[in-house]
Amino acid sequence: MPLLPRLSSLWRNLFHKARKEQELTEEIDAYLELLTEQKINTGLAPEAARRAALLELGGKQQVKEQVGEARIGYQLETCWQDIRYALRMLRRNPGFATVAALTLALGIGMNTAIFSVVYSVLLRPLPYHAPEKLMALFSMRPQLNSFRSVVSAPDFVDWRAQNRVFDAMSAYAFNGYTLTGSDLPERFSGLRVSANFFQTLGVKPQLGRAFLPEEEEAGRNRVAVLSYGLWERRFGADPGLPGKTVSINGENYIVVGVTPNDFRFAPVEIYTPLTFASADMSDMARGMHSLRVIARLKADITREQAKTDIENISRRIERQYPVTNTGKYGNVIPYQQDIVGDIRPSLLVLLGAVSLVLLIACANVANLLLARAASRQREIAVRTALGAARWRIVRQLLSESVILSLVGGGLGLLLAYWGTDALISAAPSSVADSTPGWKQIGINPQVLSFTLLISFLTSVVFGLAPALQVSKPDLTDSLKESGKSSAGFKRQRARKVLVVAEMALALMLLIGAGLLIRSFQELQQITLGFNPSQVFVADVSLGNVKYRETSQQINFFQQALQRIEKSPGVLSAATVNFPPFSGSSDRVFTIAGQPEPAPDAIPFANYRVISPQYFRTLEIPLVRGRAFTEQDAAGAPRVVIINEALARRYFPNEDPLGKQIKIGRYMEANPLHTVVGIVGNIKHRGLDIEFEPEFFYPISQTPVRFSSIVARTQGDPLSLTTAVRNTVLQVDKEQPLTRPRTMEMAISDSVTQRRLNMILLGIFGALALALAAVGIYGVMSYTVTQRTREIGIRMALGARRRDVLKSVVGQGMSLAASGVGIGLLGAFLATRLMETLLFGVKPTDPATFGGIALLLLGVAFLACLIPARQATMVDPMVALRSE
Amino acid sequence: MKEKKTGLLKEKKADLLQGTLDMLVLKALALGPMHGLGVSNRIAQITQGVFQVKPGSLFPALHRMEEAGWLISSWGESENNRRAKYYRLTKAGQRQLKTETEDWQRISLAIANALQAT
Repeated sequence: MPLLPRLSSLWRNLFHKARKEQELTEEIDAYLELLTEQKINTGLAPEAARRAALLELGGKQQVKEQVGEARIGYQLETCWQDIRYALRMLRRNPGFATVAALTLALGIGMNTAIFSVVYSVLLRPLPYHAPEKLMALFSMRPQLNSFRSVVSAPDFVDWRAQNRVFDAMSAYAFNGYTLTGSDLPERFSGLRVSANFFQTLGVKPQLGRAFLPEEEEAGRNRVAVLSYGLWERRFGADPGLPGKTVSINGENYIVVGVTPNDFRFAPVEIYTPLTFASADMSDMARGMHSLRVIARLKADITREQAKTDIENISRRIERQYPVTNTGKYGNVIPYQQDIVGDIRPSLLVLLGAVSLVLLIACANVANLLLARAASRQREIAVRTALGAARWRIVRQLLSESVILSLVGGGLGLLLAYWGTDALISAAPSSVADSTPGWKQIGINPQVLSFTLLISFLTSVVFGLAPALQVSKPDLTDSLKESGKSSAGFKRQRARKVLVVAEMALALMLLIGAGLLIRSFQELQQITLGFNPSQVFVADVSLGNVKYRETSQQINFFQQALQRIEKSPGVLSAATVNFPPFSGSSDRVFTIAGQPEPAPDAIPFANYRVISPQYFRTLEIPLVRGRAFTEQDAAGAPRVVIINEALARRYFPNEDPLGKQIKIGRYMEANPLHTVVGIVGNIKHRGLDIEFEPEFFYPISQTPVRFSSIVARTQGDPLSLTTAVRNTVLQVDKEQPLTRPRTMEMAISDSVTQRRLNMILLGIFGALALALAAVGIYGVMSYTVTQRTREIGIRMALGARRRDVLKSVVGQGMSLAASGVGIGLLGAFLATRLMETLLFGVKPTDPATFGGIALLLLGVAFLACLIPARQATMVDPMVALRSE
Repeated sequence: MKEKKTGLLKEKKADLLQGTLDMLVLKALALGPMHGLGVSNRIAQITQGVFQVKPGSLFPALHRMEEAGWLISSWGESENNRRAKYYRLTKAGQRQLKTETEDWQRISLAIANALQAT
């Protein structure tokens, strides 16, 4: 059929309706007249002819309607009619429309908020070239249950040289950089990277260039790439910066390039080439792990193939270097999976929870629709009697649902907009920095389409069943005066089923929230092993040019400590390379006098370098032996203190005091230290991680270039910040102090994600409870209204108020009890899905299950009480007369 | 004139016969422009009374085919000097008639063969 005439007909049908109507009427009238004349000519009298003609026509209106149905644009027209009718109906019932729209807004809004996070973090592809081809490589020791360990330089070089599956492989390591010059000395986090780092990612610098291969060599490696933010902030977005020299860590570097604005591989500002000295490539160095590795798969290679290839290479290396590489293999993980792995379980649980809330909201709105059905019944019965097809009535009712949903969705978008803002600012900085896409969370086109989609889906979910139900009236019943009908009973039963479902879903949600709350509480009860209150912490990293000599390093920290200890408000102060909840580092070690251990049983422990006052500052108990003193100085006999966990694991049957250990493997010629003390265990890497073996070297005998200062104060620890910073500047005016914080802040940060999960799930649970309570109240309220007459009769016959109360509340509570029963079963099955998020609490914890069930029953009881009390207020005479 | 009671009465038969009705209307108008009643009379005439097209089917068909571009209408004077809407075949309509006629002949031949097969 030719298109153009159809379009012009469509146009005319829609916009020149009146004229077309008139023409059609004329045409039909003309037909009628002609037919009449025809009949007269066959011999009928004019009257009879006219009547016969009318009969043959079959009804003017019906003919007109049939023509209308055949016209193009008919469906559109009727849709438009449906919409206008729906709007009119909703306007007539503003209370209902508002409640329904708000309920939907809550459900849809929260889903949109969570989805925008899920989309940006989990679903959106990373902003690199072909991001699905990027793999993160790790060292793993399957027997020791370690799968994602950093990589050693010699291993990396071998993987890179021998593999056949990667287009490019690049290593990188975090590093600290102090920028000095015209402004204040500033400390930045940065990366040392292989020369092909940016090419591996597929990222071109915005200004200048990336590194050249030869710039990995010593002597050519004083070049740097800066981040866009740093370039803007500290160098005024100078377009001539590439080629200029800057002072980094006390040395001159030439800036060669600037990264693009949206490049956020890591929260770093500076990139310098990764150079391997010969010491870094020695056989022993094969056991020193510090590198992260990222690689790009060849076009037709899968991750499985790459994994196999790297494993084969690892086995070859294992045979060549059994001492360092027995049991150690390479692991290949998709890069995107690696960076979101931590947050994925929580996001999925939240998504599940928020969908439940939406379902409950839908159930409530469906209930509302069913409650209104009685008032629509008669209208629909009339329409059906006049010949309306059922599907048209259903379509019209559905258009009401769709409009409600769209309005709810629109309001929900507003809610989501605020919600995502709040969510982003509440998230811990560790998540914000390390999760790419975090800053891009917002209402973007994909999120909008999601909102639109679930708006339509919800309208079908809550609207279809009531529409189907209501559109099938028993005509005789509905057209009668009395309101009671079998359809009404069915509707009431449907509403009760919905309420039971709501209760069950709300229970499941609340149990999830309850389990998270219990986990959090368990975490808070954990014994730390030290006293975290009123402890100030800050980091110091000494440059490697100025502090090349160990004596310089020791000198700096000793001087700084002396001054800090004298500062007002400081009770005691110390240095440590890694304070609790601020990272960790471990070393393999060897116990003197024992035979060489098997390659897979080499001892290793957390490695700490401390000043003598450390244990006193953190109030870590000394269990046996002694702490370090001033006598344990540079030339004195070397000493070490171990913790109970190390003693128990590596000296199970003997007294550790007096024994000697050295860092490194059996054959390495490192100095031996004598064990002089044993201290209590402390939680270091996380509240939910077991006590680990630790050993402590005195800083006077093993200097380090970076350490944290910890100080116990009388008042607010942060008030020490300026004093400590100035003290450090007094010792070295170019030395910045980084990350001043309190120990309690560090501990709190470590559980921020858990806390956030708990709060969010708690909010969802509370909302679900409120919705379910409203649902049960609605149903019971309606029941009471229906039973007004019966209650009136009963009370007239002598029933006491208490009996009526009992009857109504009993009815409601039986609904609630069924809901709770089903919900308990559902929760029993479902909570194991969130096991990874729990701590110290079983997914089927009876106390939580029982407590939440009682809570829900209690709330349901209150919700039933109100209509029950209204029932008892019924005046029997009024009730009897009402009908 | 024998009036057979067959015709476009039942819902189920309507779809099948819509195509047939279209073809008959086109054929009727191929013989010359006509108004609604005239088309209906002509169809009755050329089918020897088998098809009596009621206005409830005729008018929708006429309007539909006009919208599709096969017919074109204009107001004119009828035989009894009254205003009536006349329909006329367009070029496209003529082509459509040819196509439908060929299809129909092909189909009826096939069905006839099928019914004869044992």
